[in-house]
Amino acid sequence: MKIKAKLSKIRKDWVLYAMLLPALVYFIIFNVIPLIGMKLAFEDYRIIGKNVWVGWKYFDILFSSPAFLNVLKNTIIISAMKIVFIFPIPIILSLLINEVRTGPFRKYVQSVVYLPHFLSWVVIAGIWISLLNPVDGGVNVIRNLFHLPSIDFMTSKDHIRWVLLFSEMWRSAGWDSILYMAAIMKISPSLYEAARIDGASSLLQMRYITLPGLMSTVITVFILNLGFFMNAGFDQVFNLINDSVISVVDILDTYVYRIGILNAQYSYATAASLFKGAIGVVLILGTHFISKKISGKGVW
Amino acid sequence: MFGNGGGEDLKKFSWTTMIIYLVLILLSLSVLIPILNLLAMSLSDPLKVHKLRGLSILPEGFSLINYKILLSNPLILRSILNTLFITIVGTALNLFLTAMAAYVLAKTNFAGKRTIMIFLVIIMVFEPGMIPEFLLVKSLGLLNTYSSLILYKAINIFYLFILMRFFEDVPDSILEAARIDGAGHFRIFTRIMLPLSKPALATLGLFYGVYHWNEYFSATIYISDPNKWPLQVVLRQFVVMRDNTSMLGSLTGGSYNQIAHLDFTSLQDGTIIISMLPLLILYPLILRYYAKGALEGGVKD
Repeated sequence: MKIKAKLSKIRKDWVLYAMLLPALVYFIIFNVIPLIGMKLAFEDYRIIGKNVWVGWKYFDILFSSPAFLNVLKNTIIISAMKIVFIFPIPIILSLLINEVRTGPFRKYVQSVVYLPHFLSWVVIAGIWISLLNPVDGGVNVIRNLFHLPSIDFMTSKDHIRWVLLFSEMWRSAGWDSILYMAAIMKISPSLYEAARIDGASSLLQMRYITLPGLMSTVITVFILNLGFFMNAGFDQVFNLINDSVISVVDILDTYVYRIGILNAQYSYATAASLFKGAIGVVLILGTHFISKKISGKGVW
Repeated sequence: MFGNGGGEDLKKFSWTTMIIYLVLILLSLSVLIPILNLLAMSLSDPLKVHKLRGLSILPEGFSLINYKILLSNPLILRSILNTLFITIVGTALNLFLTAMAAYVLAKTNFAGKRTIMIFLVIIMVFEPGMIPEFLLVKSLGLLNTYSSLILYKAINIFYLFILMRFFEDVPDSILEAARIDGAGHFRIFTRIMLPLSKPALATLGLFYGVYHWNEYFSATIYISDPNKWPLQVVLRQFVVMRDNTSMLGSLTGGSYNQIAHLDFTSLQDGTIIISMLPLLILYPLILRYYAKGALEGGVKD
C-alpha cells in the first residue's frame, strides 16, 4: 500500500522529474563520467580497444620522478606564500575602507579595487607583463627613480614567485575584502556609539570593536583557503609561465596540462591529477568539518 | 587638562584619517594606472609611442591606427563574434538549466529530493581532472565545436545553490495560488517564478556571462581551428604567445607607411583594451548585481 502510494505520487510528480532531468543528465555526462574516468590513472591508455589495468604503475613512476617532486614542491611553496602574504590584505583593506565615510570617495575606492576580479587571467597577464617590462614598465620606472637598476622580473627565477604573489594580490585582494565589509556591516552600531561616548578614538574602536567582530569571518575564510591549498593558481601560472622560470613556477595543474594535453601521456597525467584531487578532497572535507565545529558554517 | 587631551585626540584622528585616505588613493591608482597606461599606449601615435613610459596615462600624440589594424584583422573580428555567440547562447542555456533545477529543488517536494541534494554535494566536492574531461569531450565528438565551450560547465553547482537560496525567498503563497488555479509546475516556473526573480536572474546571468566572456582554457584545449577561437584565446596568442604574425593579420587597416612604423606592444595593448571593454561598459550593472549576489550567496568566488 505504502509503495503503491509512493509510486502514484512519483507518477503525479512526473513534471518535476522531467524538469530536473536535463540538469541530472548533464551532471552525469560531464561530472560523473569524467570522475569515473579518473580510473585511467590505474590503466594503460589504448586508442583502439580496452585500456589495460596496471595498478599503481603510474604512481610509482610519479613518485620516483624528480620533475613531479619539483612541481609538488613549487605548488606547496607558492600556495603557502599566497596564504601568508595575501590572506591578511583584504582584512586590512576592509578596515581601511570602513574608516572612510559613505560617499563618492568610498564608492570610487570600492569600484576600483573590485575591478581586477572581473578581468581574465589572460588580460591580467598582459597588464603585468607590460607593467614589469624591463625597459619602460611602471615598476622599473619607479625603481629607476630611486636609482635602482631595472630588473627583468618575468624571466628572473628569484623574482617570478613574487610576481605571482603580487599579481594575485592585485586581482583578488579588493574583491575578497567584500566578505569582511559585509561582516563589519553586521556589527551593531550601538557598540561604536558607546565607545565614542567613552572617548575612544577611531583607532581604538577599530582595535576593540571592528577587529573582534571580524574574527569569526576571518577564521572561516582562512580555513576555507586551506581547503583549496593544492590549487596554487592554474590560470595565473599558465599565463605568466615561460621557459626561463618554468623550474620554479611549474605547479601540479600546469604539469598535468603539459604532460597530459601537450604530450598525450594520459595515464601518467591522470595519476598526477588524481593524487592532487585526493589531497584536495581530504583537505576540503577536513576543513568543512573543522569549520562547522568552530563557526557552525561549512564549506557548503 | 581636559582641553589638551581632547585636542590631541582630534589631531591624532585627523593624521590617521589622512594616512588611510592616502593608502586607499595609492591602492586605487595601482589598479588604474597600469590599465590607463595600456589605453594610452594603444592610442598613441606609433612614431611617438617610444616616449611613453610605464606610469604615463596620457597618449603621446593621438592615433587610432592600432584599432584600425586590429579591427580589420579577420581573426579578431571573427573571435569577437565567436565570443559573443558563446557568451549569449551559453549564458541563456546556463540560466535556463540552472533556474529550472533550482525551482524544482527549492520550491517543490518529491520523492528522492534528498538523494539528489547529496548527489550534488558529492559531485561538487569531487572535481574531475583535466584529462578525463578532455577525453570525454573528444569521445563525444565535440572537439572543434562551439558546443564543447557552451556545454562545458553548463551548470555551476555553486550558482545553482545560490539561486535556490534566492528562490526560497519567493513566498509559497503566490505559487500555491497559481496551483489552485490549475497551473502546472512548468507553467508556474516560466510564468511566475522567473518573472518574480528578475534581480536574481540578472545576478546569475552576470556570473555566467563574465565567466563565458573570460573563458579561454577550454577553448585552448578543445578548439584547434583558429577560426573558432574566442577573443581571449586570440588575445593569449598575441600577448602570452607573442604571435606577431597573426596579430598583424592581412594588414588592410592602414597605408604602407603607417604599417612600417607599427609598434607590436601597442597592438597587444589595444587587444587587451578591446577584450576588457564589454566588462567596463557593464561594470555598473556588475557592481549592482554581481557583488550583491555574491554576498547574499555567501560564497567567495
